[in-house]
Amino acid sequence: MSAFSALWLTIILSACAQVFLKRGVTRTGSGAPFSYMSLLKSPWVWAWGISFVLATGLWLIAMSRIQVSYAFPLLSISYPIVAVLSIFLLGERIPASRWMAIAVITFGVALIYRSS
Amino acid sequence: MRPELAVEVEEAPSIPIRLEKVPNALAFPWEMVAALGAIILASCGHLLIKAGLRSAVLTTPAGGIFARLVHYLLHPAVAVGLGIYGLGTILWVYAVSRRSISFLYPLTALNYAIVTMGGKFLFGESITRGRWLGIAVVMLGVALMQLSMKEEKR
Repeated sequence: MSAFSALWLTIILSACAQVFLKRGVTRTGSGAPFSYMSLLKSPWVWAWGISFVLATGLWLIAMSRIQVSYAFPLLSISYPIVAVLSIFLLGERIPASRWMAIAVITFGVALIYRSS
Repeated sequence: MRPELAVEVEEAPSIPIRLEKVPNALAFPWEMVAALGAIILASCGHLLIKAGLRSAVLTTPAGGIFARLVHYLLHPAVAVGLGIYGLGTILWVYAVSRRSISFLYPLTALNYAIVTMGGKFLFGESITRGRWLGIAVVMLGVALMQLSMKEEKR
């Protein structure tokens, strides 16, 4: 696997992981109280854990071959990706001010690492 | 000799508020405490791991990558750092169960700001002007994010 596909897979997997987690911990109308033990039975929570581990492994592969100053700013793309996924997979509504905030945060993270 | 306390306590007037009528927006936002706690713990975990690795690499054993990895993981600061990071993850799961992910996830960018500043103050790493600017922009974005929460509730 090329280092660049490893990097992009890391970004996409870590974005998906957050959406999986949200899907797994959201109580769907049953009114059952939040409990950590019951989370272990959710396939979405397992998907989160597995994506998280895979993303970390791929990140190590990418980092071993790509310059940090290139790889780190790209990571911030995961913020808008999570937002888009949350609309389609979770039905979240994103007000205009939040898109603005996401854009500012993405730009800020890219700035922090661009200068490394 | 103990003087008797003779203070008359007036009974507090009962306030006619029915709990179920109090809007949810007034409930204490524990999930925000959990989210910020998760972010701070993750940052502290990263910095501790870094501190541990700095001293662990000095005594790197000869041998394969596995032997080295075990050596690093067994360093007390690295192990505690990983534990703190794990604790942060548990808090994060609670926060995610209560708030939308499009709101919470971008807040984790604070990690970059905290770890960068920790690198400066703990390890003497330099922070360029562009990096300070990035930290300021991230904080501005996080503040903007709070506004978007109010908009969502409307």
